[in-house]
Amino acid sequence: MLGEILHILAAAIISWILFVTVDILFRLPEAGGVSGASAVARDIEAGGGALAGGIMMGNIVCSPDASAGTLLAACGVYVAGIPGGLAAAVLVFIGNRICHDPGYAGTTGAVLATFVVYGFTQVGFAATDFIAGMVIAILTIQGLSHAHASRLLARLWRVRQ
Amino acid sequence: MIALYVVAAIAVFAAIRATVERNTGRKLPYVNVMNFAVAGALVLLLDHPLSLVAAAAYFVGSTLEANAIASTYAGGGRRE
Repeated sequence: MLGEILHILAAAIISWILFVTVDILFRLPEAGGVSGASAVARDIEAGGGALAGGIMMGNIVCSPDASAGTLLAACGVYVAGIPGGLAAAVLVFIGNRICHDPGYAGTTGAVLATFVVYGFTQVGFAATDFIAGMVIAILTIQGLSHAHASRLLARLWRVRQ
Repeated sequence: MIALYVVAAIAVFAAIRATVERNTGRKLPYVNVMNFAVAGALVLLLDHPLSLVAAAAYFVGSTLEANAIASTYAGGGRRE
């Protein structure tokens, strides 16, 4: 019981690092992909947050990004191993095109996450730990404090620049 | 099993926060967390290869809805 909770928390940290790194490498905090992403960013900035972090959060809302890729890849590995994770990457790619997103952050995140999640299932983790872990990871960015999360993302974006 | 309870609890928490938040722009990230949690719960409840397709369809559909709501809220898309 305690072991599973620790595994979920470790998976949350690994997923967080993975999706934030991929999103920042793919320049999600730079500009809103659609006008809606910029509107979310403006409201987060008005609420005391940082604009660059808000833009990244708006982009996450408006199109499947690396965080969605990680979640669906973990789901794919859970139901069908590596082929399942790669099928999830294809579904994320289709989702990106449906959402008018020209980027590849979601697809790249899903492919990377497939191998990361599969690797960890070989050393005692369960794929379900990563499903719950990724939900916790997205909660820390989008669901606790928008002001704090956006400032943290903006600080990481400045390091990237 | 714990994973399912964690995911379900986060879905309820995010739904409550989305309901309480008044500002539309700040409401959407909470809805986003709820969508992640529901997609995860779907696969955890139905351990079948096709549940991945169901979760992806739900997630992409709900993301497209959030995209549409946010773009309408922003005053509609402007072609450049």
